[in-house]
Amino acid sequence: MDTLLAILTIFTQPELLLLVGAGTFAGIYIGAIPGLSVTMAVSILISFTFSWDVYPAISLMVGIFMGGVYGGSRTAILLNIPGAPSAIATAMDGYPMAQRGEAGQAIGVTTVMSFFGGLIGILVLALAAPYVADFALTFQPRDYMLLAVLGILLVGSLSTGSLVKGIFAGALGIAIGVVGRDPLTFTERFTFDLQLMEGGISFIAVMIGMFGVSEALLQLQNVGLKAVRQKIDKIVPSFGTIRKYLPLSLQTSSIGVIIGALPGTGGDIAALMAYDHAKRITKDPAVPFGEGAMEGLVAPETANNAAVGGAFIPMMTLGIPGDAVTAIMIGALFIHGLNPGPMLMIEQPDMFWFIVGALLTANVFMLIFGLTGIRIFTRIVEMPRSVIIPLILLLSIVGAYAVNNRVSDVYWMLGFGVFGYFMRHYGYPLGPVILGVILSRLLDDNWRRAIISEREDLGRFFEGIVASPLSLTLFLAVILIFVSQTPLWTTMKKRVFRKATS
Amino acid sequence: MDPDFRGDSDHHDGTSDATPGGYTQGRRPGELGFAIILTAASLCLLYSAYGISGFTALSGPGAVPMATTFVMVVAAGIVTLRTWRLPRITTETLSRDILPPMVILFTGFLILFGLLLKPLGFVPTAALFLTLAIKVLAHRGWGYTLAVALGSLIVIWIVFRVVFTVLLPAGILPEAEVIQFFRGLLSGGAS
Repeated sequence: MDTLLAILTIFTQPELLLLVGAGTFAGIYIGAIPGLSVTMAVSILISFTFSWDVYPAISLMVGIFMGGVYGGSRTAILLNIPGAPSAIATAMDGYPMAQRGEAGQAIGVTTVMSFFGGLIGILVLALAAPYVADFALTFQPRDYMLLAVLGILLVGSLSTGSLVKGIFAGALGIAIGVVGRDPLTFTERFTFDLQLMEGGISFIAVMIGMFGVSEALLQLQNVGLKAVRQKIDKIVPSFGTIRKYLPLSLQTSSIGVIIGALPGTGGDIAALMAYDHAKRITKDPAVPFGEGAMEGLVAPETANNAAVGGAFIPMMTLGIPGDAVTAIMIGALFIHGLNPGPMLMIEQPDMFWFIVGALLTANVFMLIFGLTGIRIFTRIVEMPRSVIIPLILLLSIVGAYAVNNRVSDVYWMLGFGVFGYFMRHYGYPLGPVILGVILSRLLDDNWRRAIISEREDLGRFFEGIVASPLSLTLFLAVILIFVSQTPLWTTMKKRVFRKATS
Repeated sequence: MDPDFRGDSDHHDGTSDATPGGYTQGRRPGELGFAIILTAASLCLLYSAYGISGFTALSGPGAVPMATTFVMVVAAGIVTLRTWRLPRITTETLSRDILPPMVILFTGFLILFGLLLKPLGFVPTAALFLTLAIKVLAHRGWGYTLAVALGSLIVIWIVFRVVFTVLLPAGILPEAEVIQFFRGLLSGGAS
């Protein structure tokens, strides 16, 4: 009963409802405008909602997250430009449909399917998270440490082809996170005797720099890109269409939730895997994949929205983010004095159920806004980049400044912006950096706790890992990711493969 | 499916978020230099991390920094070697594709913004920045530029100052008086 009340908190305060609605609406447009991303929006918003209460701040961010994941599909269909990475797979079949003049139908199906996917993700979150949290209470410090390493590695290995660059990015993030005075011994770390560095580097400055400034700088190169206008009609899909794709959407939603729930992997990977899955199981599609198959639209869209709910599972229960956006959400909760993890679920279950409620509401708003207002939408997307880019930069500066009222944070942001700009150009993923910064403290603390409890003995530490099934599994997973990237793995795979064929 | 596929194969496609733009089969201009700089910087950091607590204790404050910077050195070293072996992409140049003048100009704008923020205050600095930036990017007349820049600044200022209650440096503008004036208007209307 209390649970239900907590879920419904959002309806008892019209202000919160309004914020979720506004957030979802804004999210759809931010996600849809190429060059504006959800990660960017959420990281800039943290600093603006800094002085708010926790509930309104979370409402707004949840709305933006939900809306943004969906919004990216719009431009993927209309312009062949995914508004967000999670919509990359959507463009493969969505754009051909738009070229055939079926843009309206594509958007309609996408919207309804995103709603389904989102719903399934949230349901799984609501059902699974309490159990995961109970289970998480048995975690040892070493398990947390291993989980953190695993999360960073997973982001690095799955988000791009080059794991080494991902590992570098993750380690860099951890190093950025430890700058300043060590909270336990008060030793200075990486401060280079500068007073400026003693307080550490504001992670918000890092985030806004990496996701806001570097993105805006990159977009400077396509200022002249023109949007193409498409004719859109007949949006609301028929019941028959929806029923036809329901079995597929259920499968791809489960893929989405699972991938989303893995620490470190989010909607983009879920969408690509679901697309792959749909391609494999659809024996004879009405239209070939890549030329406008409806299945190719349903699969990634259900999966990426289901991944939203999934990504909240490790975030709420373990304090380990599921992807870059949840990493930033964790940052937001930190700022509001909350510490996501199993204890939060036990001490403040209302907070968890409130987030579930906010997600559900955002999902409904997404359906409503998705099926209406297409006309205004095309207008907003056509907003010239020559105006958007300066505005993003301005917002980034305000955002970086607002948290601590320090100009030095603006320079940190700028520095990381330029650095992130080069990282993007040369194929270094940025996600692991943010994950590293957020998880740095958790990793450091838990490593030290674990090794102190084993009396500084590495041998006993590894004995502990081998003795506990959970630690062993996590440890093996970490090792496996490493091995899978070395030449050893490829030769082994080749050998096994050759044996199997001969 | 190619795991490196991220939307359009052209890196100017406007995909957003942390989408890396590197190529798997070639070396972009400046990529090797960047990798070498990263390796050198990682080495410096490793030295600095060693200085925190050395090898005294596994639970010391320097243990995790040393481990991470060591990982950074190894990873950056491998990246450098791999990049070294890749053939250079001949269709791109540093000044056109990686660091065009526009990017340098805007970085300069942002540095100036930071310098002027405290003495001038937020509103005049932002007005100056938006006007210059839009003028440079849009190639439109002064009327359009000023209208868009000042119009959006007013909206942003109202949103931040009133909705988000963010404190921004007031500088030379009598911001508090303006807000007080509007508060007076509002409360006057309410009573």
